[in-house]
Amino acid sequence: MTDASTTAQTTTRTAARPPSGTGRGPGGRGAGTNGHPAAVRPRGRQVGARVGSVLKHAGLIAFGFVMLYPLLWMLASSFKPNALIFREPGLIPTDIDLSNYTDGWNALLHPFSHYLINSALVVLGSLLGNLLSCSLAAYAFARLEFKGKRLWFAIMLMSIMLPIHVVIVPQYVLFSQLEWINTFLPLIVPKLLATDAFFIFLMVQFFRGIPRELDEAATLDGANHLRIYLQIMLPLSMPALATTAIFTFIWTWNDFFSQLIFLTRPEMYTVPIALRTFVDSTGNSSWGSLFAMSIVSLIPVFIAFLFGQKYLVKGIATTGIK
Amino acid sequence: MVRAPASRRGGDPVSVIQELSSTRKSVSPRKKGDGRWALLFLAPWFVGLALITAGPMGASLYLSFTDYDLLSAPEWVGLENYTRMFEDPRFLNSLGVTFMYVFVSVPLQLAAALGLALLLDKGMRGLALYRSVYYLPSLLGGSVAIAILWRQIFGADGLVNQVLAIFGVQGQGWVSHPDYALGTLMALNVWTFGAPMVIFLAGLRQIPQMYYEAASIDGASRWRQFRSITVPLLTPIIFFNLVLQLIEAFQSFTRAFVVSGGNGGPSDSTLLYTLYLYLKGFGSLDMGYASAMAWFLLLIIGGMTVVNFLASKYWVFYDD
Amino acid sequence: MSTTGNGLPLRRGKRLTASAAGLAAVALTLAACGGGDSGIGGGGDEAAPAAEECPCEIRFAWWGSDTRHESTQQIIEAFEAENPDITVVPDFTDWDGYWDKLATSVAAGDTPDVITQEERYISDYATKNVLADMSALDIDTSKVDDSVLAGGQIDGAQYGIPTGINAYAFVADPELFADAGVEVPDDTTWTWEDYVTTANEVSKGAGDGVWGTQDYGFNEAGLNVMARQRGETLFTPEGELGVSEQTVADFFQVSLDLMEGGGQPDAARTVEYQAAGPEGGLLGTNQGAMGVWWTNQLGALTDSSGHELELLRLPGESEGERTGMYYKPAMFYSVSADTKYPESSAKFVDFLLNSEEAAKVMLTDRGLPANTEVREAILGDLSPTDQKVADFMADIEDEIVDTPPVPPHGSAELADIMERVNTEVLFERITPQEAATQFIDEVNAAIAD
Repeated sequence: MTDASTTAQTTTRTAARPPSGTGRGPGGRGAGTNGHPAAVRPRGRQVGARVGSVLKHAGLIAFGFVMLYPLLWMLASSFKPNALIFREPGLIPTDIDLSNYTDGWNALLHPFSHYLINSALVVLGSLLGNLLSCSLAAYAFARLEFKGKRLWFAIMLMSIMLPIHVVIVPQYVLFSQLEWINTFLPLIVPKLLATDAFFIFLMVQFFRGIPRELDEAATLDGANHLRIYLQIMLPLSMPALATTAIFTFIWTWNDFFSQLIFLTRPEMYTVPIALRTFVDSTGNSSWGSLFAMSIVSLIPVFIAFLFGQKYLVKGIATTGIK
Repeated sequence: MVRAPASRRGGDPVSVIQELSSTRKSVSPRKKGDGRWALLFLAPWFVGLALITAGPMGASLYLSFTDYDLLSAPEWVGLENYTRMFEDPRFLNSLGVTFMYVFVSVPLQLAAALGLALLLDKGMRGLALYRSVYYLPSLLGGSVAIAILWRQIFGADGLVNQVLAIFGVQGQGWVSHPDYALGTLMALNVWTFGAPMVIFLAGLRQIPQMYYEAASIDGASRWRQFRSITVPLLTPIIFFNLVLQLIEAFQSFTRAFVVSGGNGGPSDSTLLYTLYLYLKGFGSLDMGYASAMAWFLLLIIGGMTVVNFLASKYWVFYDD
Repeated sequence: MSTTGNGLPLRRGKRLTASAAGLAAVALTLAACGGGDSGIGGGGDEAAPAAEECPCEIRFAWWGSDTRHESTQQIIEAFEAENPDITVVPDFTDWDGYWDKLATSVAAGDTPDVITQEERYISDYATKNVLADMSALDIDTSKVDDSVLAGGQIDGAQYGIPTGINAYAFVADPELFADAGVEVPDDTTWTWEDYVTTANEVSKGAGDGVWGTQDYGFNEAGLNVMARQRGETLFTPEGELGVSEQTVADFFQVSLDLMEGGGQPDAARTVEYQAAGPEGGLLGTNQGAMGVWWTNQLGALTDSSGHELELLRLPGESEGERTGMYYKPAMFYSVSADTKYPESSAKFVDFLLNSEEAAKVMLTDRGLPANTEVREAILGDLSPTDQKVADFMADIEDEIVDTPPVPPHGSAELADIMERVNTEVLFERITPQEAATQFIDEVNAAIAD
């Protein structure tokens, strides 16, 4: 720890020397401004900046294409009739055939929207649960001092180290005794009780990055822990909360195994289970429907992420302590 | 001892940063006696722990000492499951496969995540779009469709080999050859770097703007700023990602299940630890053995995490 | 770390409560683990339960893809129309998830009333008293062949009634044969050597990217047929391995011969095609002229390939001392030993098995119907492909000697062992002899309990 702070001090000390003119690189308009208007820059620099930017974009786009290729293939295949998917595995379908979408939508007992709604319900409950309970617990670990803190922290971490397969049977028995099987309760209630220790740990790390001075200033103004939590920690942790929300959404949306085990009646099924029923290794598989419905179920997740980014990006933009 | 911070006093930026970065241990009277508050904040977690986590965890520990096939009551066998484990060549193989998978693909994945996060933090157009594009693969990570997709790319006649053929290189059956199949699984892990990337992005955003501005005013170059502000203040997040990605990688199941068709093949080359655990527990109905495997895994992960935490004293910088 | 005077007892109290709750949860869990008792009981003893009072609700569990789910739902509705005081609750998933879910629900004492079973798992469940002896139930099995019924009997008790029959057969693509200039072999006389030669010839004649056949080594059914042709059997009625090392070695040798002669693709490609199922295999993608599949997969194969495919007997049927092919029960209907409604469950199974209405919806989805009368009745409704299957099954009926015994408890691992050993052989990491030894050792260990 001392190393980093010394480095910070050294930086500012060396920076106290008069800056040289080469402090800026191409395309480097980024964070701090040195107050030099762009028009004053030499021509060569401008072109250099442009070229650099184009190259950067080109690189990112190419890389993006490589990253997306599997998804593009899936998209293309969703427009091909089942029989052709493996016979003509190219990226451009010869005929655009929308029947996979209509078939897939109606193939199971309920239209696919039913499963989308089920998943949405589970996700909503999990989101609320995680955001609330995990941030509360994280505040305790990050800001409070209490007996046995280290022990409880260790226990918290331990709970994420055990694979779900060995706890799911005892959990099933437990929920069965409570008659919660085939409801969404076994999927949501644990989130309300902060069992996703991943997010507790995540938020602890973020909370610890927020300067204590803010806490202290608030305390001096007479705030108690609850107010500090609500009015300082939470607002300043938007990125952490957004991250929690995004991840909870994604993981719950895609969680297959526990949903498979706890939901026994088809009307309760969620998207991952519904998707799996399109493919049966022993008999007829509807790959086309699988791909089509997978694309359809990706859309809400993608949108969630697009919106979530807005909050992700809100950082500590304040330049001073209020 | 507690004087108003430099920023309040209108001090110069240098001292502001100095003060904010130093490792002062400030003691306020409120620090003692947080027990009551802790109870309040931790209440949901305690309840969850007692009711939902501790019970099943305890049960699984008990089951690890039994012969349990799910269909009839467990029978106590003591340490037999544990001794059997170490004589089981498939178990030892799965340990090896998992260690290799974890220690090769996690650093690669994190490097990609950090690199892209830095690139996409700010300062260019289309950021939101790029970020979404790079994140999209993580959404598909556990899908059944991945099996097909991965074969399309890494199969003997797949995309990779077609590209290699352009350069005149003879490709292998990457996804189906015992020597290379694990590599495709690692590629899958790296491909889904979007998740840690998002966390890095959040971490970058959390670094107070004022540090950069103050440093800029003093003429620090971007590289200097990166080295002395970004990296140190990002270390808690790097640490977090490292710990968690390691834990997750050790527990990686769905990907191996999907890519190998559920059996860890070909020839057990993709038999990750948790996959073998699952096959033993639900496939062979040997849940006692699977529970023993789970607790052994917990020991490994726990040990590794402890080492991580101890080592973190040397490179992680907290602002509190 | 310090606490206030108030904090300490509060925390200790909280901790005690937490531990007590935790212990209670553990105790609850363990008490419930494992199946219950009561109900019908397995193995056939105890007094008959009192007649049940309806309205009854029974749960029916099965696996499949969406087409099967739709048709089964229709059948359920037809049954409920005839029996208004019985409700059937559907419980379906895909094949992989099915067994996980079933085992978990049994562990919690939550077994479905009517369960779809399969030969790999039925022993496990039967020997742990999860399944009822259906001979004690009121189900009409008179129209089902005894030899077929025998497929669901263990130690004289009927733990499952076959839903229908399948056979393990070769599927050939005459178009590809013609393109390669090779004649489709006469399946009543061809030997294992003929098989290898034919496949090699097709590969040569067809050119790059098309092969004679797809590897057969991943499925133990082929080994069973070969063993039976030699008077051996994969599993004996006593539940032990009945196949010799030499036979196993010969079995794997065929694959090596084919790879050497070019009749089947290289090891890596073989693994890929295997994983791609019927739709993505050699036949389905018009890249191979032969493959060995279960007869109820002919539909998927034909659809994917777009050609008219033919069914062939396995090679060597006339080579050895007897024929090896057999009727395999496609799956079984079983009833839970703990069901609260044994009579309703029996009624439902009876409906599934014997109702013409149900059969007309199901057709051959669960195999060719076990009830021979119903089988006749639906012949006219079959698609041309299914017609071919029915004809083929009728053709081989007289040649079949007997039904193999139910695989013993622990045989679920057999498929896994087969896959691994075969992969090792294909990549030439072990010789067929070594493979045989490994196979026998591992299978013996798996069924040892």
